[in-house]
Amino acid sequence: MIEIDKLHIGYHSTILEVNRLDLKNGQLYILIGRNGSGKSTFLKSLGGEIPYLSGSARIEKKEISTISQSEIPFLLSTVRSSFNHIDYMSVYNYVAMGRSPYTNAFGKLREEDKSAIEKAITSVGIIHLKDRFTSELSDGERQLASIAKAIAQGTNVILLDEPTAYLDYLNRMNILNVLKNIAQDQNKCIVMSSHDIDIAIESNCEFLVVTKNQKIELFKELSKEGILELAFTS
Amino acid sequence: MLTERKHTLILIILLVSLPVFALLHLNSGQIDLGIGTMIDSMFSFNNENMNEVIAREIRIPRMLTALLVGGSLSIGGLLMQTLFRNPLAGPYVLGINSGSSLFVAFTIMTGVTFFQSDLGMIINALIGAFLFGLLILFFAGMVRNQISLLLVGIMLGSFTSAFISILETMSHAEELKVYMLWSLGSLQKVEFHQLGIISLIVFLGLIGALLISKQLNLLVLGEREAKSLGLNIKRIRYLIIGITALLTGVITAFCGPIAFVGLAVPNMVRILFKTQHHIVLITASFLLGAIFVMSVDAILQLLESWMVIPINAITSIIGAPIVVIIVFRRLR
Repeated sequence: MIEIDKLHIGYHSTILEVNRLDLKNGQLYILIGRNGSGKSTFLKSLGGEIPYLSGSARIEKKEISTISQSEIPFLLSTVRSSFNHIDYMSVYNYVAMGRSPYTNAFGKLREEDKSAIEKAITSVGIIHLKDRFTSELSDGERQLASIAKAIAQGTNVILLDEPTAYLDYLNRMNILNVLKNIAQDQNKCIVMSSHDIDIAIESNCEFLVVTKNQKIELFKELSKEGILELAFTS
Repeated sequence: MLTERKHTLILIILLVSLPVFALLHLNSGQIDLGIGTMIDSMFSFNNENMNEVIAREIRIPRMLTALLVGGSLSIGGLLMQTLFRNPLAGPYVLGINSGSSLFVAFTIMTGVTFFQSDLGMIINALIGAFLFGLLILFFAGMVRNQISLLLVGIMLGSFTSAFISILETMSHAEELKVYMLWSLGSLQKVEFHQLGIISLIVFLGLIGALLISKQLNLLVLGEREAKSLGLNIKRIRYLIIGITALLTGVITAFCGPIAFVGLAVPNMVRILFKTQHHIVLITASFLLGAIFVMSVDAILQLLESWMVIPINAITSIIGAPIVVIIVFRRLR
């Protein structure tokens, strides 16, 4: 759950303003806006990577600016558009990294960690790949592994910065469906930035639109024309 | 799990091979001493028995030095490779050894030092290694490309050798000779009484590396991902540089710069184990590194009756092609 009130974000001066926003568990939100409109900055601010300028943003009732670096991984997980090349790391071991905030000083996996990992890999539909090296996966499979890692982390909030950027049409659809199902089945609050307006409209998600006057507003239902009007035409 | 059992098996094989290679090394000298003499020289030393003197003063220190050099440089290399996410990194190629060389050269050739002792040498080499480690860390923040970082390391090396050559022109013949001999790299200068302090520091470095293994595993994902999983990046960077400086500094102080061990061994270990679990990688790098340097040095010892080859020549002959192979595999 994310609650935002009169939030101003940016590096030095305000580039985005969010008046009031309640993002609930059980829902997938698609963040849409022009290139350079501040979508990534917004997600980074929520993730505690960039301090916001003023206002309030809370995750699970905690003000983000007061959350310590070591507490962040218990509250939210993040997925990026690119995937670092790693030699010799199996999908299972990669997803297991999501459990590292919970494991002891040597990273020993307990039974509950193992079942969380299996469950996460199963829920994104790549259990058949669990012993493969991540370096051998296709881009779509890698992104699913990244999402599984975020799920294994066990947080209610998951933030994804353009996870479908490098994927083809079918993989984009698949990722969106997987995320939507996870939001509903596992009662998570998922925010994902994307340029895939068409796919998003088809899948009946809610939209966070960065409007032309640099504000983020929530829309439960939108048509393509509506989005273009709000965010893209000048 | 199957892979875990395989890892344990290979580790046990390495662990069992270690004393075997140690014995081979001890027996590769020109005089046949026998195990009995070795044991006597350790536990009931008689300084009138020539064989026991050779065992205690020459053979055993050289074997243990080879073991410690191989083990600690390999862990140093592994830590650098993980920190910079670069299989080509190592204390030698990144110029961390150069830091030690510069400080040691300064000490030897100008006579200016904090302590006139083994400890002084160690501290100089450690400070040099640590400072140059920080310098490389600083440059690594600016260059994203893996090969560029190596170029920076090589430049750091050239820069240092320029300074050292200026020092050389200003120093006396006697000091110059001491430095030149040191800079060639050798496992034979460590004396029996120095082994204690070297082993202690290497042991501390090994334990330190094992204690941060979970953080190292996270670092493999890349710094941003590691950070979002709660890793304190700044602290782990300094810890890694500190432990690497400890491990390579102490070796460089006593044996001079030894090339390519730290680069080659961890890569062999990764190919052998196909894992990123650092507990396994650290342990295996130590064992395989020790075995590697002991076998190289054993061969040198066998050849010694008709030619004396510096250890660096052999480690470079083996290490340099490994760098080239990795570069080709990466850029293909």
